[in-house]
Amino acid sequence: MAEIIAAALTSHAPLITGKPDIARPEQRERLYAGFHELGRRLAAARPELIVMFVNDHLQNFPYSNLPAFCIGLADDYDAPSAGGGKFMRIPPRKLRGDRDVAMALLEAGLDAGFDFAYSYEIESWDELSVPLHFLTPNGDVPIVPIYTNCAAPPLPRLRRCHEMGAFVGAFLRGHARVRRVALVASGGISHWVGTPETGRINPEWDQRVLDHIARADIEPLLTLTHAEIEREGGNGGQEIRNWVALLGAVPGWKGEPLAYEPVAEWITGCATVWVHP
Amino acid sequence: MTPAVSYPLNKVLTAVARQHAMKPALTDEDLAGHTLSDAERAALKTGDIDALYRLGANPYLIRRVFRARFTI
Repeated sequence: MAEIIAAALTSHAPLITGKPDIARPEQRERLYAGFHELGRRLAAARPELIVMFVNDHLQNFPYSNLPAFCIGLADDYDAPSAGGGKFMRIPPRKLRGDRDVAMALLEAGLDAGFDFAYSYEIESWDELSVPLHFLTPNGDVPIVPIYTNCAAPPLPRLRRCHEMGAFVGAFLRGHARVRRVALVASGGISHWVGTPETGRINPEWDQRVLDHIARADIEPLLTLTHAEIEREGGNGGQEIRNWVALLGAVPGWKGEPLAYEPVAEWITGCATVWVHP
Repeated sequence: MTPAVSYPLNKVLTAVARQHAMKPALTDEDLAGHTLSDAERAALKTGDIDALYRLGANPYLIRRVFRARFTI
């Protein structure tokens, strides 16, 4: 049976790698140090597979077809593609998927009432490319991404995301083929992207989110409404659904924030959090 | 309450974003074959990011396509 041997939460933003020079150096270096520490701990845990809780930005799922939850069944993932890589300044690369595990998860979900969509082809934007640039620089660990709609309302409720994550955690612990699984969620914390308030960050809200996670006091996050998050965390804050989903897979585990920087130039409240029993 | 969504606007912006193209404004060529209101067409052709938001364009797509219009 598999064991969840590591879990991490990170922000993602294309400017983190795309324009490192515009950030204040001390902020950039503190955040990068948090990413590198996550990478070091993840490598030490020796995962065979990384299950990623992430979201699309209308790159793969347009308004003609928008799943609430979608499992990647691809052989490999562009993370990034040549086009995205130019903007994120990350060399294009393909990361291996694990279709056996992904398909088993999909089938188990459908049997249990989690009606995941699925996709055989996904072009990653920053949701996979940026965190994995730091966390798995060699790209040698296969991934199974689970996409949650965080970008095109109406969005799934946070409690449902948490329940989905709990299902994924239980599935993984009962899975026979893979023994050592890591979980990574990316997104958030507060940021306003493409709205008239673009550039706003709310460090107080970010700190509240981090404090709840540090105490494993998740319930108050599960009752947040779309409107509350939009007001306090911006449209980018809706991505904490990915974090909440991961935390559902590891009940009782607490977050250890390694870095938090409200980087105005990257228009994002950026964090890296190690999650452990 | 779900914000207002313009499917035609988002369809155009998705097509441009998928080419990894960033533009200060869209052209008649970009808009060919799309059914848009006069206000939507004008906002796309002038790169009016605030108007696009009000008209129901997804903010992530606004940012992707019209990045040059943002001051930050």
